Amino acid sequence: MNPTRRQFIQQSGVMLGAAGIAALQPRLLYGQEVLPADGAALAAKPTLVVIYLRGGADPVNALVPYSDPMYYRVRPTIGVPFESSDPENPAVLRIANDKRFGFHPAMKELANLYDAGLLAPIIATGSRHPTRSHFDAQDFMERAAPGIKTITEGWLNRYLTATAGSEERDLRSVSLQPVLPRSLRGQYPVLAVPTYGAEDVMRMFETLYGCDSEKEAISQLTQASDAEPTESSSEASQPSAEQHTRQRIVESGSEGIRKLRHLNAIMNRPGGEGYPNHHFGSQMRDIAKIIHADEGMEITAVDYGGWDHHAYQGGASGTMAKMLGVLSQSIGAFVDDLGPRMDRTMILVMTEFGRTVRENGTNGSDHGHGGFMLAVGGPVKGGRVYGKWTGLDRSRLYEGRDLPIYTDFRDVFAETLLGLYGFDADANRFFPGYDANERALGFMRGVRA
Amino acid sequence: MKRFTSVLMLCVGLSAGAADAPESVDLTERQVAEHVLNRMAFGPRPGQVDAVVEMGVQNWIEQQLDPGSIENDVVERHVAQHWPTLTMTMQQVRQQYQPPYPRDGTPEERLEAVRERNRLRYQVAAELPRSVLYRATYSQRQFEEVIVTFWRNHFSVDQNKDDVSYYANDFERTLRRYAFSDFEKLLLATAQHPAMLMFLDNDVSQKPLTEREERMLARYESRNRVPRSVEALGRHRGLNENYARELMELHTLGVDNGYSQRDVTELARVLTGWTAGMSDGGYLGEPGESYGFLFRADVHDTDPKRVLGSRMAGNRGVQDGIKVVIGLANHPKTADFISYKLCRYLVNDEPSDALVRRVAQVFRRSDGDLPRVYEAIVTSDEFLRPTNYRAKFKTPLEFVVSSLRVTDAEVTGYKGLLRSLDTMGYDVYGCIDPTGYYDQAEAWLDPGVLVRRWQYAVRLATNDVDGVSLPSELIDNIDGDTQEQIRDAIVAALLPGGVDKQTNALMLEQMSRLPGNRLALGLVLGSPVFQQH
Repeated sequence: MNPTRRQFIQQSGVMLGAAGIAALQPRLLYGQEVLPADGAALAAKPTLVVIYLRGGADPVNALVPYSDPMYYRVRPTIGVPFESSDPENPAVLRIANDKRFGFHPAMKELANLYDAGLLAPIIATGSRHPTRSHFDAQDFMERAAPGIKTITEGWLNRYLTATAGSEERDLRSVSLQPVLPRSLRGQYPVLAVPTYGAEDVMRMFETLYGCDSEKEAISQLTQASDAEPTESSSEASQPSAEQHTRQRIVESGSEGIRKLRHLNAIMNRPGGEGYPNHHFGSQMRDIAKIIHADEGMEITAVDYGGWDHHAYQGGASGTMAKMLGVLSQSIGAFVDDLGPRMDRTMILVMTEFGRTVRENGTNGSDHGHGGFMLAVGGPVKGGRVYGKWTGLDRSRLYEGRDLPIYTDFRDVFAETLLGLYGFDADANRFFPGYDANERALGFMRGVRA
Repeated sequence: MKRFTSVLMLCVGLSAGAADAPESVDLTERQVAEHVLNRMAFGPRPGQVDAVVEMGVQNWIEQQLDPGSIENDVVERHVAQHWPTLTMTMQQVRQQYQPPYPRDGTPEERLEAVRERNRLRYQVAAELPRSVLYRATYSQRQFEEVIVTFWRNHFSVDQNKDDVSYYANDFERTLRRYAFSDFEKLLLATAQHPAMLMFLDNDVSQKPLTEREERMLARYESRNRVPRSVEALGRHRGLNENYARELMELHTLGVDNGYSQRDVTELARVLTGWTAGMSDGGYLGEPGESYGFLFRADVHDTDPKRVLGSRMAGNRGVQDGIKVVIGLANHPKTADFISYKLCRYLVNDEPSDALVRRVAQVFRRSDGDLPRVYEAIVTSDEFLRPTNYRAKFKTPLEFVVSSLRVTDAEVTGYKGLLRSLDTMGYDVYGCIDPTGYYDQAEAWLDPGVLVRRWQYAVRLATNDVDGVSLPSELIDNIDGDTQEQIRDAIVAALLPGGVDKQTNALMLEQMSRLPGNRLALGLVLGSPVFQQH
């Protein structure tokens, strides 16, 4: 069950007092002043979970502008009906306080979160760079540097680097997929986690990588070799280059073992019910586990691929509907799972670009321009649709075919970092060649529009 | 003080760097042989260290410097048979693997056609990385593979972008054709290759709109009815500086090395109209209509320009661009930059200035005659210096290929290997960054990644990598009455240059906890010393 806004506030207040997970910024606590119960938790920062829908998720079939007559004219086949009694072809979930839009019927959980004030859709947003290449558009967005290829580090990694302290928590940033998403790549050492159960190989290699649990054995071994000097060339009184390189490898390996053991211990804890049986759902479940463990995880990013629906996208049901369902159920389960911890957790969903407003000849849509984002969680002023909207009239579309972009994606990123962490992107010259809009959208609590 | 470095010291961390390490004792003959096989090949194959010792290290080096002198027909035939797109022209690939998007038929028929198109595209994209891995493992011309890997990263293209995969096979062939020729030819061939032009967006770079055209566009911006001519202007892409920048930053001069943003823009204007299409073959010069480099005069900027201090009237079409590219190839700073990168790749992560200077001099004096540049490096005193022995950390590609070579693994399918490589962070022809993959330890010593290497090592040793099996002789030969003898047999097989006492002791210690020789083999493959070369 999804919490109503009222239940959520009640829970939050009670649980926060008990667990002492007070925020640095009281505004995150729905305006209630809650004193921290213990100092350690005070230092913990909120968590940002970035979800990237790869392939260019269709904005107008997610947040359906059903009241615009153009919508049904340009989408005769894949349009989602505004009224229906056919369970195979359900109607949009209308939004009570905004007559322009309805959620896709597969987004039930997300619609509930909207009603509970915990979800803020941002429309007609994205990167103004004209590229319609998935490759470039993802790349530009994840580095938050459209058109600039010399910036090679992801925006989340840059944030982690800019705010790194002298001693970093092991799990400050973790990616639960083998290859780091672009946004997390860079000089900050984000841990990309291989399949769990790496425990076997770690046990096998720990001796060679200098972190044997049986320290005793090592020191005995050292004494043994101490007794007999060796004649091998590579054993001078100072380390040779060979030994120097080996030492770096050993240190890196032992760091990996330490961090992964830490994480494995967390994953082995019970809990995490209600997630859809899907890879994305499992990732969200595991992220929730790390958050529950209070290990100071600040940033994580997850990919959900396959949104490039050139053909057979479907309407109220079909391919995209199924995927929206997985997205919605996973986020719904995540919010339920974290309960009051959502106070200090935010999900930001994004995609590289929108799609053509008009459906194509294969019951799908092609690469477009303006897209959408979803911000979810306690730090978000949800229950409202953010961003300028000018309808689907051809004259108002970008190049006569796509949603325009009224909100630069960097404005959303900037407001997210400001609202969550008090991090001022512009003061830190965070976006190369770009200052975020002075007028914030205001979707974050404590950030004025 | 005893003359050894203890395990504990290794764990605590020593601050002394490679630079101030004393010159150690000379390497043994076998260690020298292992060294050249580590650097000028993807590691030794069984028995190869002995073979190189017998032949003489210098003779082996000389032979490898002249790949054409080494018989390699079996490998070439295998490539042609298994991966047909590797020997096709771009035109043939397009005809056979890139059917046009369906326009007619029922939605079902069109959907089926789209699926077939995607399937074909996947097939083309899959063949190239497989052939790369195959050649690196089995080619007799190992130094050629090592060098082509260098240029593949220097001129990195990602075949996941747009339509690059249809042309990446030919791009690989182009690198091979010019890797042992002049740098100028290599550079120009990449500059006129559809894969490069697409990857770095030069194919869509066009002369900027005039002010009048800009005004026209603005006037119609919010109107419903737009004349065709204005609509066409709206589709005009304008100048794209991406390739021009990387041409100087990554391919020739090096970052911020003697060019300004203005030079980038001016060079981009010089290169407007350098695109791909049906042509007469461009620089590669194959006559007749075929797909390849295309110069489009209609989108070329003919205004006067000034690049790196020299003026050009701008009226000589494609020749202006060719002149600038050749100028960049022969720029003294290019010689420095390429020499530095090659020394870093072949010698050590921080090559000495003296070596780089000497190599750059050879580069300049020979007008970028690449075999002479390579020769200057691998015949230098520094190359064989003991301090460089196993001083580099293998890239994932070097790790995986060296493991296949040293175990004499039989590979019947490459999917599993490529997947493993991908999880180690190395996607062949899939590097997003135009920088390509780095070869320094710095870039790869990532805590999480080593775990993947261990997982792969264990899976390889236990025949658990899809399509790969170790020969039974290898396992049978790991024999001995004591754990010690078994360890010695494995080390002798996988690390012919030998290992120091501490490593030996640690391996024995750990092996005693492992059931079976296969896991012991996996342990050595995943050990720190096997990550070095």
